[in-house]
Amino acid sequence: MFKKVLIANRGEIALRVIRACKELDIETVTVHSTADANSLHVRFADHSICIGPPLASASYLHLPAIMSAIELSGADAVHPGYGFLAENAEFARDCARLGVCFIGPTPEQIEQMGDKATAKATVKAAGTPLVPGSDGILDSLEEAAKCAEKVGYPVLLKATAGGGGKGMRIAQDRNELSAAFNVARSEAQSCFGNGDLYLEKMVVRPRHIEVQIMGDSYGNVVHLGERECSLQRRHQKVLEEAPSPLVTPEMRAAIGKAAVDAAKAIGYSSAGTVEFLADEDRNFYFIEMNTRIQVEHPITEMVTGVDLVKTMIRSAAGEKLPFTQDDIKMTGHAIECRINAEDPETFAPSPGVISGYHEPGGYGVRVDSWVHDRAKVLPFYDSLLAKLVTWGEDRDEAIRRMRWALDEYVVEGVKTTVPFHQKVMRDEEFLSGSFDTGYIARFLDR
Amino acid sequence: MKMDEIKAVLELLEDTDIREFEYEDENLRLGIKRGAASAPLVTAMAPAPMAAPALGTGSAAAETVSGHVIPSPFVGTFYRAASPESAPYTEVGQRVEAGQTLCIVEAMKLMNEIEADISGTVKKILVENAQAVEYDQALFVIEP
Repeated sequence: MFKKVLIANRGEIALRVIRACKELDIETVTVHSTADANSLHVRFADHSICIGPPLASASYLHLPAIMSAIELSGADAVHPGYGFLAENAEFARDCARLGVCFIGPTPEQIEQMGDKATAKATVKAAGTPLVPGSDGILDSLEEAAKCAEKVGYPVLLKATAGGGGKGMRIAQDRNELSAAFNVARSEAQSCFGNGDLYLEKMVVRPRHIEVQIMGDSYGNVVHLGERECSLQRRHQKVLEEAPSPLVTPEMRAAIGKAAVDAAKAIGYSSAGTVEFLADEDRNFYFIEMNTRIQVEHPITEMVTGVDLVKTMIRSAAGEKLPFTQDDIKMTGHAIECRINAEDPETFAPSPGVISGYHEPGGYGVRVDSWVHDRAKVLPFYDSLLAKLVTWGEDRDEAIRRMRWALDEYVVEGVKTTVPFHQKVMRDEEFLSGSFDTGYIARFLDR
Repeated sequence: MKMDEIKAVLELLEDTDIREFEYEDENLRLGIKRGAASAPLVTAMAPAPMAAPALGTGSAAAETVSGHVIPSPFVGTFYRAASPESAPYTEVGQRVEAGQTLCIVEAMKLMNEIEADISGTVKKILVENAQAVEYDQALFVIEP
């Protein structure tokens, strides 16, 4: 087991890793910017090194400062948390050069999964379902029509050189296809100088469902069930739950296997998440793989009873996975509300000083937070204050617990998204369990 | 002071007939009162905010130095001289000019020369040769 782990992160995830290390009798070193000098991740680590000024680019993202701190600390392993340098292949390489274990993927795995096209090609070879579509560039409208016939309408025509929705058109049927094809082509040509298009089946009312996987260095990969992450505002998750109301045991076995196969295809031996789009018929398609521990990992921990952070540290230290696929059971239901320092209606960031703070507690409530009384919420870092997680024997109980937990949560001095979550917890569409990635946008428009 | 250190103090007191004990330093104030009952009353207080423990003997937050401070712009190792054979760049009491090299902070095998940003006399050298230093850690005090 490692003697000393340096945590190259801040905030709640740094605290999460410190806690896991303490349980494993590992000495902890953290890094901090001058703005974070009094943070909990500084106070509760055995040592902490000031690495730079408040700006993340000059501190938490500043590779030379981080590497210097790692070297001086004498740490034999590094945990990158999420965000910052967690999926930076250069960082992983530098750690390897220093002879320090990077608790996470290899640099090659980061690069493979970091590029969407490469990731898709890699998992396709493993048999993981992708969004059905054309095999590369479409040569003609006839080819597009044949392909659309095969995958089924509606279809999406996309520019290969495209982005930002440009050179993209939806076709609901064969009649719309010709017009869509020509318009998309000319738009792509004029925007990107490249009119090449490819075709994808359009997933109607998609849900974002991701699967937690865990690997070891002996080739074992196990999935720990799915998380429902369709509740997003501008592509940022606001609320997650496990299990997904959509997923049946049969679908879980299938999507779980698809995730495990994708991870095994790249020899993955750490904690990771495989993301899928699913439709209401329970078809699912791979979109990408995140080679890191994720923000919403607590809900998987609550329903499976597995400490994901400790397990990934153990795995990195060369231990075999302490469970097989058959050992993993999902019990009950967990929900996570991301409490951000933002206006609950406009979502404008609300930095400031916390003048009053009280976390909810009690049976089935978990709060992962970096906040404390008199903490400064600064504009330099993300706005996440806390992850409020509730567990219940079923979805209804988890929701009821979340309602009173939100009501008990006191944060004074900054605005928070607590009122937003309070509304969602009482909203019919959320309660139905039947929603898609467009739900939150519709909810906010009402 | 850690829990086992407090326990050690309590054990020490057990063997004496000391009733009240107080200890204070820049980080902690510890008070112990032993009454007639067997369990002594222990109050340990950490001041707020707590200073971040550092690699070296001082820390960027805890250092309350007066005068013009030259801080370290990097995390690294502080060296008084360009090499083990060279003479130190500067000594206490020496007059330095703005732009003059005062020391080296080595970070990841790169030697960074740290310069004085004002002219004056070196009043204090706050770190030792080959000591690990943090970003913003006070290195020198210059008296203009």
